[in-house]
Amino acid sequence: MRFYALLVYLFLYIPIGIIVLFSFNAGRHASELQGFSIKWFGIALSNPFVMEALKTSLIVAGTTALLSSIMGTMAALGLQNVRGIVRMIFDSLIYIAIMIPGIVFGIATLVALATALDFINPMLKNIWPIILGEAPRLKLGLISIISAHTLWTTALATVIIRARVQGMDRSLIEASIDLYATPWRTFYQVTLPQIFPGILAAALLNFTLSFDDFIIAFFVAGGRTTLPIYVFASIRRGITPEINAIATMMLIVSLTLLFTSQGLLRKRK
Amino acid sequence: MDPRKKFIETLNSYKKGSISRREFLGKTGLGLATAVMAMNMPGLMGLRQANAASKLGNRVSLATWPNYHDPENLKKFTEKTGVHIQHNVFGSNEEMLAKVQAGGSPFDVMVITNYTISTYVKLGLLEPLDLSKLPNFIEANHEQVFIGEAKIGGKIYAVPKNWGTTGYVVNTKKIKDKMTTWKQFWDLTITKYSGRTIVHDYQLTAIGNALKYFGYSFNSIDPKELAEAEKLMIKAKPHLFAISSDYQPAMRNGDAWMSICWTGDGSQLHRDMPEIQYVLGKEGGELWTDFFAIPKSAEHLEAAYALTNFLLDPAVNAAEVKKHGYPATDKLTNKLLPKEMLDDPIMYPAKELLDPLEFGAAATLTSPLRAEVMARFKAA
Amino acid sequence: MAKKSSSYVTTLLLAPMAIWMTALLILPILVVLVYSFGELAEMGGYKPAFTLAQYANLPARLTAFKNTLVLAPAGTLAAFLIAYPLAYYLARTVEPRRRMILLTLVIVPFWTSFLIRTYAWMFILGGRGIPALLEFIGIEGVRLLNTPTAVLIGIVYGYLPLMVFPIFVSLEKVDESLLEASNDLGASPVRTFLQVTLPLSLPGVATACMIVFILLMGEFLIPALLGGGKVFFIGNALVDLFLQSRNWPFGSAVAITLVVVMLVIVSLYMRMIFKPGKTQDVSMI
Repeated sequence: MRFYALLVYLFLYIPIGIIVLFSFNAGRHASELQGFSIKWFGIALSNPFVMEALKTSLIVAGTTALLSSIMGTMAALGLQNVRGIVRMIFDSLIYIAIMIPGIVFGIATLVALATALDFINPMLKNIWPIILGEAPRLKLGLISIISAHTLWTTALATVIIRARVQGMDRSLIEASIDLYATPWRTFYQVTLPQIFPGILAAALLNFTLSFDDFIIAFFVAGGRTTLPIYVFASIRRGITPEINAIATMMLIVSLTLLFTSQGLLRKRK
Repeated sequence: MDPRKKFIETLNSYKKGSISRREFLGKTGLGLATAVMAMNMPGLMGLRQANAASKLGNRVSLATWPNYHDPENLKKFTEKTGVHIQHNVFGSNEEMLAKVQAGGSPFDVMVITNYTISTYVKLGLLEPLDLSKLPNFIEANHEQVFIGEAKIGGKIYAVPKNWGTTGYVVNTKKIKDKMTTWKQFWDLTITKYSGRTIVHDYQLTAIGNALKYFGYSFNSIDPKELAEAEKLMIKAKPHLFAISSDYQPAMRNGDAWMSICWTGDGSQLHRDMPEIQYVLGKEGGELWTDFFAIPKSAEHLEAAYALTNFLLDPAVNAAEVKKHGYPATDKLTNKLLPKEMLDDPIMYPAKELLDPLEFGAAATLTSPLRAEVMARFKAA
Repeated sequence: MAKKSSSYVTTLLLAPMAIWMTALLILPILVVLVYSFGELAEMGGYKPAFTLAQYANLPARLTAFKNTLVLAPAGTLAAFLIAYPLAYYLARTVEPRRRMILLTLVIVPFWTSFLIRTYAWMFILGGRGIPALLEFIGIEGVRLLNTPTAVLIGIVYGYLPLMVFPIFVSLEKVDESLLEASNDLGASPVRTFLQVTLPLSLPGVATACMIVFILLMGEFLIPALLGGGKVFFIGNALVDLFLQSRNWPFGSAVAITLVVVMLVIVSLYMRMIFKPGKTQDVSMI
């Protein structure tokens, strides 16, 4: 059993090991080791496109995680009070949203927004006051990525948080109401602490999904570049160890975050 | 590799700040590594200084093809102007156009091929260039045959980058047959060298050179002729190594032995691995010119003009040609090139091989038939 | 009175999701549906019309559908077969102190770029990777990159963490006393596993398989990078149609078909796995 686990871990980590190894490559190519160098870390960090792509990805993933957790929590709480047709409609919408592959969200958002913009932009041009100068042209970008991502992840968040809501101890809530706590206070002091692990898990998962998404952004990013889009472009033009350096740094950050948070949790216990 | 080349390469690698393994082992590792880091970090500060000094902004985004620029030149541009280049490469003109059509152009400078210009103009994506910002472009120094398609209604919409041909490369260590025709290319793919050929992910060249198998025009949009080409392509598909426009890595590491290929990739592969040879099919094929165009919606217009003009500078252009091995259309650039390059049969094929070649036709870009043939080929 | 205010709160709670879903899911899907009955414009894109021609053309993408419908379930199954023993090991045999670390190590790869990890496989499976190693020990002519096998390896690799996690959770929840009871009643460990542990972990398995399957049905990157344009999924067909041939109407028809296929498959799957009449939530955590 242990041996098997070891094999699986090797399978998981050999590619990552190769990525890290090549990030210290002195040569230009990501497939031929030519000595040791850490210059690619410097190159990556001083490349404004990498930094901008990283910033875009962080904004997109952060906003997506935040919005989807808020909406998911609200929906999960609201849904426990409804039955019948309303419940059925919501359940099937969530179900459909989870089932549709991400790529379709990308396409639907692209097609719908392109159609809407074809309509809105000429209109905007007509009604735009001359004093304000030239009318702005709305186009695909940050907002279209965030809305497609949020849509993709909200249903998931709802399901995760709802599992937590259903497992919640209702007697505590009733006690709180009996003690004349305001609904807000009941939520804040009784409900939220109980479902918080679910919210956190959903937010984390959705952050990861959004941060790593390529295909949806590929369709709707317009001129914006997220980190995965940047990486894809780099792979196509012949990858340099710069990309490996980025991956290594991402790995270091996520490992540090993981282990410090675990350390903190253990201390609290 | 001859010693002179080796010396220059070593010299270049020093300039780039890289350390060879031996040297690394010779000195103490850490100090040197930190020095390299420090050498690369000032990029950040340089960026800020340049920013204050120029109105170009600090970025420009370039849509181009694989292996089509000298990285040193692009770096030089950034050092000179403080403008960083976002370098995107594409597999086909169709892909580039689709990206621009779906959601506004994210690019400031685009390298597009002759046959697409009229469509870009019709779609309202290009405007006539402001030639006063491109002093390095002197029309008289380019042959009309190469630049004609960029001139519409007397106005110039794009300036030439390079010209070239589309043939195929063969690894002669693995393939002993004497290759001269497109017929051989497809026949041997299907039979003797199954699993070793790469075909472009690009309708113009993939379909065009399948059409040449039957002796039809490279640009045919005739349904019957296309159906024959499609049949051939689908028959060959299980025997292909890949469908990809970035074939250099697979040719270099020996995964693939044969690939449809553009002039410059042929030069580059042959330069590094003399056993790889470039063949123009006797039946004909494509002759093309690539152009720099600046889309109407470019966000960094000034930087776009600056980059285009920089790359057209004869000295810079000559350095580009030396690196990528595509012939230039500019006479001044050619004057700066070594004679052996101007005599290179890959870059300047013999007249009897050039004669049957055709320029791509605009109709192929918008033909739904060709798009579907390509898509069915890929999905088969 | 209390009831009224609570229904007011409920409406408020559900409103954002309802608006979001209408504006960004229902309407866009409707637009795609409308497009799928349209015609290809002269320069590419959409031209209003009402024709079934796009749907009639669907057989041209039959192979892509077939590839997806074979490799997505196969990939899901392979990932499951590899993930289950690992999840079992983590949940039931590792001492709790080390469990968190080991579990974390499964998730860490998920937190480095999917693209870069897949790229690493291009190197491993390419001419200088495994085939070169095999040549070294005398096995020649092995080709891995750009084959369905490569795509399958990429799938298993990419989705393994996603598979392990839900299974681990459901295995961890299995009540120890049930296992002890089974043991006390003289059941062999194999029997205990087959009759107690495995059935109890099924919800996690079902969830994990469904998530991976859904993601795979829309997969584009793995076949694009490890399949060399030769192993073609529906996702690749869609990218081609929208971002290369600019055939929006046909692309829309393919997208709608994909959604319908998904709806049918997943509904059947849910009906099979989860007992009818009893709503069971997919629990991930």
